[in-house]
Amino acid sequence: MQALSERLLGFLFPDGTDQWLTILRVGLGFQVTFYSFSLRNDWNYLLSGAGNGVVSRNLAEALLSVESHFVPRLGWLVTLAAPVGLSEETVLSIAWGCLLVAGCGLLVGLACRFSAILAWFLQICTAKSGGFVSYGVDNFMTIGLFYLMLSPLPDRFSLDWRIRNLRPKHPQLLGFWRRVLQLHLCVIYFFSGLTKCLGSGWWNGSSVWRALIRPPFNVIDPEILVRWNYVFPVAGIFVCLLEITYPFFIWNSQTRKIWLVCICVMHVGIGVTMGMYLFALIMIVLNVAAFGPGLSRMERCTASLQPQKAVS
Amino acid sequence: MRQKYVYASWLTLHFLLIASVSCRDTLQMVVQGPTILPFSFKNPLKKAEKIVSIALAQDLAASNPIRQALATYLHISGIEASYGYFAPNVPGSYKLVFELHYHDGRVEYELPSVSSAAAAFRIAGLLDNIGRTRSDALREHLVKMMAQSIWREHPDVETVRAIFGSIGLPSVRDFEHGKRESYEFLYAYDFSLQNEAPKPNDH
Repeated sequence: MQALSERLLGFLFPDGTDQWLTILRVGLGFQVTFYSFSLRNDWNYLLSGAGNGVVSRNLAEALLSVESHFVPRLGWLVTLAAPVGLSEETVLSIAWGCLLVAGCGLLVGLACRFSAILAWFLQICTAKSGGFVSYGVDNFMTIGLFYLMLSPLPDRFSLDWRIRNLRPKHPQLLGFWRRVLQLHLCVIYFFSGLTKCLGSGWWNGSSVWRALIRPPFNVIDPEILVRWNYVFPVAGIFVCLLEITYPFFIWNSQTRKIWLVCICVMHVGIGVTMGMYLFALIMIVLNVAAFGPGLSRMERCTASLQPQKAVS
Repeated sequence: MRQKYVYASWLTLHFLLIASVSCRDTLQMVVQGPTILPFSFKNPLKKAEKIVSIALAQDLAASNPIRQALATYLHISGIEASYGYFAPNVPGSYKLVFELHYHDGRVEYELPSVSSAAAAFRIAGLLDNIGRTRSDALREHLVKMMAQSIWREHPDVETVRAIFGSIGLPSVRDFEHGKRESYEFLYAYDFSLQNEAPKPNDH
């Protein structure tokens, strides 16, 4: 029992460098920045509560309150700013600006912890207050930012480390937080693959076809797509098998590279053929951060010879 | 060592929650069907779904502190939903058309519009929410709010008719035989300037 417990702890708390954390921080920095820019012109329209938006934010927040009163939301910021005379529009614009600043902070690694917490808080406010207009990308951004803000920041490539000489308080937890991200990705792909396997459409290729011609994902003309109709069943089965087997093959050093490359190629494909660039980016960032470091032979040698270099 | 046990315990609970949410939603998906599983699977899986829902405190009153705390944690960590995107099959999409009636008898047609592709995905998601909700009142309220946003852009409009429908996607074979996407009428609502309650026309 003692040996099993030690083995389990050894698995959950491996030694390692902070390379994965750099990838996660910079990747999420890009993601948050692109996310902010992509919604720049529609921000107030999507998130207004006082009858100025596409649907009232207040309705989504009221429904959220049925589940929990303590989930962060934009309504809190609007209420807090009201006594000082700030209008809702101004508060939303400030929130957008702060999210962009937090994204840039993560990108360069300035005030890493504060930037991560700010980005997580504002992103979750946006996703929850815009409940009716949020989709998968919001979920994965919350997951990534949640783990990032809890991880031992800063990493050695951040400005905090280089200029401000800041060091993480608990560097021994670097491996643990990477493990959490790795395990979470395994659950994500397993259930994503399992649920797809339950539909006949993924086995005969019709789901691939439908996904590609379904508005607003119909980036490619169906007249062009239909010429490739023999590829759809193969692609459907490939996606199902790739996802459901991810937790089994991503851990093995022999197969990890293949699965990681295939998953990233799949997400690039989704981004290019369906226009879901933000979704593609967040998934690639999470995958590369979790399983990318240590892939090449040279990196493995460096990591095994100098495990404490990054955290000293 | 004690710190490691604390973190390991948190991780165990965290992944139990992730697995429970994913199982519950997967079971729900199978129960609601259609899937490749035989119909006889539905009843036992329905029971299993109920058990998982109890584990997630879903049977407690909405105001119960345990349920509230659990819901808060699930939301702030981003694990409140499962990962069955485009599963088990890819559903069709929805379309909302606004028919704008002016004082002079003119009629114009307008679609909900945004300025970026990223925001367009969100509007498509909103239409999916409207189409899939089982609550007529919520559907009507959402359509009304969208009609109001159109009204703000066209203040001289007298009445607005919102026509909501689903888009039928052709199969590859149908497409090769010349069939294209079809539009099926589902609901229509009339809104007038007097702030009257909308009149659902048909569905």
